[in-house]
Amino acid sequence: MSNEAYVPTAAKAQADEEYLRARAASGKERFIKRHSLQARITHGVTITCCLWLCVSGLFVFVPALAQLAGPDVVFALRMSHRVIGIAFIAVPLISAIMAPKGVKHVFKNLFAAWDSDDRKWMILFFPYLFMAKWIHMPDQHELKSGQRFADGMLWFSGALMAVTGVVLLVGSTVASFPAVYAVTLLLHDIGFFLICVFGLAHIFLGAGIFQPYRGSARLMFGDGMVSESDALYHWGHWAREELESGKNVVEK
Amino acid sequence: MAEKAILFDTSKCSGCKGCQAACKSWNNLPSPTALNADAPSFTGTYQNPPDLNGMTRLIMTFAEEQGGPKGIKWAFGRRACQHCADAPCVTICPAGALFVDEATGLVTTDDAKCISCRYCASACPFDVPRYAGERGVINKCTGCVDRVANGMAPACVTTCQPGALSFGDRDEMVALAEERAAVLRERGFEDAVAYGVDEVGGLHVIQVLKYGTAAHGQVVDPAVNPAVALTQIMKPVTGAVTGLTVAGLAAMFALGVGYKRDKRVYNVETGDTLDVETHEVLKHGDGQDTESIKEHILENLPRRKGGDHE
Repeated sequence: MSNEAYVPTAAKAQADEEYLRARAASGKERFIKRHSLQARITHGVTITCCLWLCVSGLFVFVPALAQLAGPDVVFALRMSHRVIGIAFIAVPLISAIMAPKGVKHVFKNLFAAWDSDDRKWMILFFPYLFMAKWIHMPDQHELKSGQRFADGMLWFSGALMAVTGVVLLVGSTVASFPAVYAVTLLLHDIGFFLICVFGLAHIFLGAGIFQPYRGSARLMFGDGMVSESDALYHWGHWAREELESGKNVVEK
Repeated sequence: MAEKAILFDTSKCSGCKGCQAACKSWNNLPSPTALNADAPSFTGTYQNPPDLNGMTRLIMTFAEEQGGPKGIKWAFGRRACQHCADAPCVTICPAGALFVDEATGLVTTDDAKCISCRYCASACPFDVPRYAGERGVINKCTGCVDRVANGMAPACVTTCQPGALSFGDRDEMVALAEERAAVLRERGFEDAVAYGVDEVGGLHVIQVLKYGTAAHGQVVDPAVNPAVALTQIMKPVTGAVTGLTVAGLAAMFALGVGYKRDKRVYNVETGDTLDVETHEVLKHGDGQDTESIKEHILENLPRRKGGDHE
């Protein structure tokens, strides 16, 4: 965390010491609410659908798997791919209709202008992944710059899979457009490729498999809250804003 | 066994559709008459059904237009699998249900392996494979490889009375087709052509098209959709990149073993972010970072014994 030769005054240093003593004495920790219950349910259902779609899709995508499973199993998986695919599309759409302000908030964050800390964070990200013990990262807003890029790619690939999936479903049931079907198939494969790469990275970081991100799983699979300490580490600018406003802060 | 081919000479075809009936008969494919009974009005064509479908692997097409040495071109066409040498349906089939019969080069099917994905239909430059919904499999000409393996010709060839269909070694069929097309051109059918010699890597249905390619309903310069080849590239690319991603993430995890950091809190009153363990002020205020990239990377690296100075 950057600190440009800051030397607190004696009074401020005293205030910080008293503050730390008081916090230790209280035995309580502060948490910031980050994701609503609706967001967590939507994420949970979508990720479950996505995982099932990836697995069932693999049986069509990889000939060896298809031949190993046999046509009846693959046919059943293909049918489940269609049903779960509809849930994958419908659940986020219904959720978006139920919370339009939330959607606006998500996309506002995704397309927020990058400041100096954002650019620096992105440059440092790959070295950080391999040297997390030594590299400290610049503070970030509600969505890290890399998170904006990676989440954006997941949104994009999810939408690509949804649109091409619908075209493939229509093209193999109620209509026939072979040339478009072939191109759509390729785009569906490209979407799968993107989901493999960005989805794996998302799981690695979001589920807290990567040691500096331990505890992150709680954000989407727990109560949706992040501890003050983790918030300051991951999203410093956002954490300070939230702690100053106190609106979403819970002490327990 | 040498590569085989069916030769169809349109100049000898009488349009009897015996081949179409024989195909149905040998392959146990039904021929519902509902299409005729339900037709809103007579279409004026002898062609029936209008196109290939889940129960019909071969149809004869009928086209009439003015021109030619006799004032009218009555062009019969054969619409069925062309048995491409570089068959894109085989390339794209994820289940191995479509494959090239090694003994003959004919593109055949294994219904037991078909998963009904219909990718083959999207890849075919001749728009041939059709989905047989009631059986849940793709339907297309198999080249009667079962008959061929037992020393017989395909059913359509065997039944052809005017001798418009022949079956034999591909080289021989190609030579016969080119010879016949030359004869037809000499007789004034200037558009006569041997079709299938080089198309899509060379077809295993060679045709003598008396009035030219388009007149007989054949595809001029058939081309495989480039998406088919790109789809095949996506599989190894996705596999390789996913593997690299997993390996990279595993390396990150291994390097992260032992990682720990002190808790931190924010004192709103002073604007200081504090380390709970060391009580150090980690940051004052909420300004932008002022360190260089190099400083970020190097400042906490473990130092060599004895310090950095030589």
